[in-house]
Amino acid sequence: MSEKMGILVATDRHLDHVISLTRAARAKGKTIEIFFTGTGVALTQQKAFADLVGKARLSVCDVSFRAMGLSGDVPGVGFKDFATQARNAEMINECDRYVVF
Amino acid sequence: MKKVCVVIRDIAQQYEGLRTSLGALLDAVEIQMFVLNHEIAEMDEAFQDNMEFLDEMEGERFSNNSANVEKYGFRHVTLKQTAEYLKAADVIIPF
Amino acid sequence: MKILHILRSEPDETVERLIGGMYEQDDETTVKSLYKKEIDWERLVDDIFSHEKIVCWW
Repeated sequence: MSEKMGILVATDRHLDHVISLTRAARAKGKTIEIFFTGTGVALTQQKAFADLVGKARLSVCDVSFRAMGLSGDVPGVGFKDFATQARNAEMINECDRYVVF
Repeated sequence: MKKVCVVIRDIAQQYEGLRTSLGALLDAVEIQMFVLNHEIAEMDEAFQDNMEFLDEMEGERFSNNSANVEKYGFRHVTLKQTAEYLKAADVIIPF
Repeated sequence: MKILHILRSEPDETVERLIGGMYEQDDETTVKSLYKKEIDWERLVDDIFSHEKIVCWW
């Protein structure tokens, strides 16, 4: 089973870094999970967000998403992936490495 | 059980850091939350309630800001002591 | 202990003191700065998985 990296994205400043790290980790055979929360959910509205689709399991904090007045579909994020903070806790417990942006 | 330190320095992220701390506690993670350098900017009902919930769930909260210690019951910690807690943690989440 | 410090922005006094406070004799510490232009992302992935503790500072 491949090593797993969790990425918590809690700011709206580093989408380029998140994409670059995800791409590199994927190329090295790692499994990646990303949880967007707080102002980080604003990144779901950027065009480049779609670059993450298919490379990582993507989840979004539903409370943050609605608090920011956002709605509608997000590429690569299914209904069940609009989640609570418990998803982040699962990520903490399940991932071999955990990084924060 | 993993030990997680949530380190909140950005004033605008104080509530988000608390939310993340609580969420992690619910999935059997041990939480130590640190509010560094600044007093809690908005101690409204939601923050107060969530902070009390954190206490009930046996999460720990620390601050190097004396107002947080005196007004809100945070345990005082220095930066040096904070670094020692971080060293002992499995996961560190800066906000 | 092998510790990787990832700096998302230039470190201020708080970050420097925390990093310094985490250091103990026999630790192996690596610092990677993401605010500089050239980042070797594949190397960073290797570093993330070869260190025991990762801190992504502000």
